Amino acid sequence: MENNKEKNNLLKFFYTYRPIILVLPALILFIIFFIIPVVSLFVIAFDKPVTGVLSLQGEWTLKSFIRIYNRSLYFNAAVTSVTLAALSSLITLIIGYPLAYLIAKTENVARNTFLMILVLCAMQLDMVIRLFGLMVLMGDNGLINGALMYFNIIEKPIGLMYNKIGVLIGLVQFSLPFMILSLIGIIRGISPAVVEASRSLGATPNQAFWKIIIPLSMPGILAGTLLVFAISISSYIVPALMGGWKVMVMPLHVYQQIAEMGKWQFGSAIAVVLFCMSLISVLVYQKVAIRIGGGRA
Amino acid sequence: MSKKRVKEVNELGPLIKIGSGIALAILLIPVFIVVLTGLNSGDHLTFPPKGLSLRWILAFFESEEFLSAFLFSFGLALIVMALSTIFGTLAAIFITRFNFPGVQVLRALFLSPLILPGIVLGLALYIFYVSTDIGLARSYPGMVIAHMLVTMPYVIGTVSASLFNFDLNLEQAARSLGASPLTAFRKVTLPNISNGVMAGSVFAFIVSFGQFDVSLFMATPNNTPLPIALYWSLRYTFEPTAAAAGIFAIALVVTSMLITSKLVNLQKFSGVKFD
Repeated sequence: MENNKEKNNLLKFFYTYRPIILVLPALILFIIFFIIPVVSLFVIAFDKPVTGVLSLQGEWTLKSFIRIYNRSLYFNAAVTSVTLAALSSLITLIIGYPLAYLIAKTENVARNTFLMILVLCAMQLDMVIRLFGLMVLMGDNGLINGALMYFNIIEKPIGLMYNKIGVLIGLVQFSLPFMILSLIGIIRGISPAVVEASRSLGATPNQAFWKIIIPLSMPGILAGTLLVFAISISSYIVPALMGGWKVMVMPLHVYQQIAEMGKWQFGSAIAVVLFCMSLISVLVYQKVAIRIGGGRA
Repeated sequence: MSKKRVKEVNELGPLIKIGSGIALAILLIPVFIVVLTGLNSGDHLTFPPKGLSLRWILAFFESEEFLSAFLFSFGLALIVMALSTIFGTLAAIFITRFNFPGVQVLRALFLSPLILPGIVLGLALYIFYVSTDIGLARSYPGMVIAHMLVTMPYVIGTVSASLFNFDLNLEQAARSLGASPLTAFRKVTLPNISNGVMAGSVFAFIVSFGQFDVSLFMATPNNTPLPIALYWSLRYTFEPTAAAAGIFAIALVVTSMLITSKLVNLQKFSGVKFD
């Protein structure tokens, strides 16, 4: 009798908390392979830097971070990273808005789906493959320089790649789909009635666009800009290939310090700075997205 | 209504159309160039192009480097897709269905690999593998785990959205007619969210297949995914064989997105999830 009651209690407990079993595999995976590694990365970044040694020294220090701040090589890389990411946000906004507007206002389902598939394919295609195309286009022996020289417009190739311009064009190509997807939902949500009202009160199509539609798309503009900033500043592959290691940004330094120099603590510190920069913009992004989208980030 | 919207676009006409054209050009021209390079008959793609041939496609099938990387990535993406879909769908059911304290924290945790820069996540995992010395550093299982972390957010996002849109009354109706919770879920809910689950797994596949950042610290000569192989070759030269490999990757992505468009309403897609 006693035993049975205990058994019932156990069963009750099991039934109440049984659903947790569903989330356990994913949760265990994330605790072991996500939370612990990211925390360790932070710990190592604050550990005493010793070249070639990864094991914990146990001496907390800010040395690595001070070094990033003091050495112009690393400080400039941080400035370059931020500048390029900011420019990339601005340019993708200007270039992406018209297409986002067109997709949002296309009611024909087939045409709308077709445009969405184009944007999604461009986004999901491996960035290295897209960069291959971009490099064949923009290299010194590439199609643009080839065409300009073929028609005798220029005599020597103009440097479109292995400089900041090249990296910026690569970043724009990389992040444009993210900007477009951030904008579409917001633009679609703008009620046509508001625009009609402004038109009936005498606004020209241009005035309606700049004074009504653009201000109402502001939440999407902010969200898209911050998202593009975060993914542009994190990109390793674009500056590595389009900049040819001549434009040094933070992700390149992370790889170089770890893989080539064995400076685990210093490399981790740069990674932590990079992480914080993208985290700040993502946190602002989520604030903005939640406020305007009712929780849909 | 629909005519008016079209009119709106037309009135703004030229600016929107020219702008859209520029955006589409930036998105698509690099892709076309890859296809052209893979199909051109010269040793490089030059201006003007020389002509078309299948020689680089054939070279790709004989190339040890790219074909094996392609097959490696394909196999890896299949395994990652299967595991992420199972783990992710179960987690999504928990997150959307049960009101345990801290469920929102869980949701944020599962989506957070999306906001962590890929190279930072790759480095964190690599340091973890090396310092714990449990045999995962530069190993196949180690790479699978890394890819699961970056693909599961897509599964969880897509499946939670379809669960969220599902009318719970239907499942309760089945329950009141005597079905057990599991049967009701299996026979009523699952068929209704299966499109979301499949769309999530297609995304998991394609994100894993094109993954560069987290693979960077994990790759070895024996474990080289296609993006890493292409990157190493691109650092030195533009091999048309690499472009031929790219053509197959492009075909794979286009197919996946066509499948996705049949499964879920792309008009409601916003980044990670459909709502």
